[in-house]
Amino acid sequence: MSMQPAGVFAQSYVRDMAIFRTWKQGLALGIFLLALLLVPAVLGARYVAIANIMLITAVVVLGLQITTGFAGQVNLGQAAFMGMGAYTAGALSSGQQWPFLVTVPIAGIVAALFGAIFGLAAVRIRGFYLALTTIAAQFIFVFAVLNLPTSWTGGAQGLRVETASIFGFVFNTDNRMYYLILAITAIMTIGAYGIVRSRHGRAFVAVRDDDLAAGFTGVNVVGTKATAFFVGAFYAGVGGALWAYYIRFVSADQFTLFNSVYYMGMVIVGGLGSIAGAFVGVFLIRAAQEILTAVGPSIADVFPALGSSVVFASVNIVLGAAIALMLILEPRGVMHRYNVLKRAYRLWPYPH
Amino acid sequence: MIQLIEYALNGALLGLLYALIAMGFVVIYRASKVFNFAQGELVVVGAFLVWFFTLDLGLPLYVGLALALAGAAIFGLVIEPLLFRRLVGQSTFAMVMVTIGLLILLRGLVLVIFGPSVRPFPALISTSPVNIGDITLNRGLLFGGIFTIVLAIGVSLYFSRTRPGLRMTVVAEDHQIAQSMGISVRRSIAYAWAMGMVLSTLAAVFYLNGKSVTFLVSEIGFAALPVALLAGLESVGGLIPAGIIVGVAQGLAAGYIDPLIGGSFSAVFPYLVMVTILFLRPSGLFGWRIVERV
Repeated sequence: MSMQPAGVFAQSYVRDMAIFRTWKQGLALGIFLLALLLVPAVLGARYVAIANIMLITAVVVLGLQITTGFAGQVNLGQAAFMGMGAYTAGALSSGQQWPFLVTVPIAGIVAALFGAIFGLAAVRIRGFYLALTTIAAQFIFVFAVLNLPTSWTGGAQGLRVETASIFGFVFNTDNRMYYLILAITAIMTIGAYGIVRSRHGRAFVAVRDDDLAAGFTGVNVVGTKATAFFVGAFYAGVGGALWAYYIRFVSADQFTLFNSVYYMGMVIVGGLGSIAGAFVGVFLIRAAQEILTAVGPSIADVFPALGSSVVFASVNIVLGAAIALMLILEPRGVMHRYNVLKRAYRLWPYPH
Repeated sequence: MIQLIEYALNGALLGLLYALIAMGFVVIYRASKVFNFAQGELVVVGAFLVWFFTLDLGLPLYVGLALALAGAAIFGLVIEPLLFRRLVGQSTFAMVMVTIGLLILLRGLVLVIFGPSVRPFPALISTSPVNIGDITLNRGLLFGGIFTIVLAIGVSLYFSRTRPGLRMTVVAEDHQIAQSMGISVRRSIAYAWAMGMVLSTLAAVFYLNGKSVTFLVSEIGFAALPVALLAGLESVGGLIPAGIIVGVAQGLAAGYIDPLIGGSFSAVFPYLVMVTILFLRPSGLFGWRIVERV
């Protein structure tokens, strides 16, 4: 839980439950949001493209954070849920010409229903068995894409997607897409904070810490697990829809099991059970990926045998080592380390 | 009728191969309570070790294979001090997450060390098929299947009848209890990974016999998953029936259902079988039913 600096006391329950406990927190967030708004103006086109991918990934990882970090249900089907959303949005926008504002929520709900199936499996299946059952989502997703009518999914060819537009305003440049994605990410983030603070969020944490004990205290364990999967997959679906509108092309090999594993890695690096941690994890891993892409050619000079796969290989080594090191040295992730530092700074020079 | 038998038999042999790979999961789980997500990567590492010692160094096949198995065992032993030593005593959740890190790390390392190109894999068993009457069987898979059955019985007896095996079983039940009874959790984990690596290398030998190897071979790890879950994560002996069920189901689906709906129904079918059976028996066919006390 968040510790307040000395001298900050809540005088009423309303203040105690407030999201911004001090005006400085609000100010910091304001400055951060302003900086995000200025990204396209200050940084070049290349950074906007990177930022777009980061934000989309952040929405997906946010969902995984809720399922795994808060509700404690290991989910290795997140990429499949994302793909479900991407295909739904793609099919509805190019096939049916449905508007952006309608397809995105529908994509989320389709993915969420797909995800909730695996949550409902929690009625009978528990622990590792449940975690591994989610891998089935990946295979079912690929099967569905290849076997549903080609006019819906495009089959093995992939699916072209229309540009996003809201009330006639067309989001046809990276900068416009950036603001659109940023707005939706912001909404999803506020939603995530709300869910985590709510009755459902408390139930998630109770189930994560001990599902038997949670059951005894009156939490509907099965319902909670199903909700966790529903919410997590909803985020994946919305992220997938954004992906579809941004890349404007959807194919099954964009959503592999390995991507799910990567998302899991981002959650671990950022810190399980922290909304901000989801963003930190995505940012650190994606930034590492971009840096390695930039220096990749010079690594290729050292290991000529690798050729073009050097970036993929080195990103994997960095991420794999990062996950292992994080778990060994700081199992609660970067955000926890940050909170520890913050507390130490506030109490300095006293040890406690 | 002949065709039905052929589909079923070939399916069963493939299922037994899955069982051999799944034995890697189960042995590691059975001795350390850690579910190893990186099983597919272990198969790849084993396959590249075999390739390196036989074809790359040009050693005689069986010398190379012996060296590869020794290398695999050493590789398995090294994993414990690198990744798990500091985590003993913490939640098994963290240990399982480490294996996800290991999956990603190994994929990168394999690419850096062995490169992305397709490598030939030596044929330790003749690649000509076996003909029994009108039925044609893959010789490598046939030998692999027989080997898997013998090995499963042996490993199963090891865990249930011998002292070292029983010690590992205690670790799988509870790390703390094992520690307090004077059983080294660390050593158990190290041996478990060494055994898992050797099994994975053997699986690679039978699976890739005379074919080729790239880092993409790791996908077989997840294809073998239904077999491990169906058997129950603690049961080595149960892998044989589970492998045969999954394999026959997949073989028949590939033979009769795939031509009807097209696509890859046979790839999904094992998962459907697995989920259905898990609904009926949540800890697999032969897994331990753990009664939790609060």
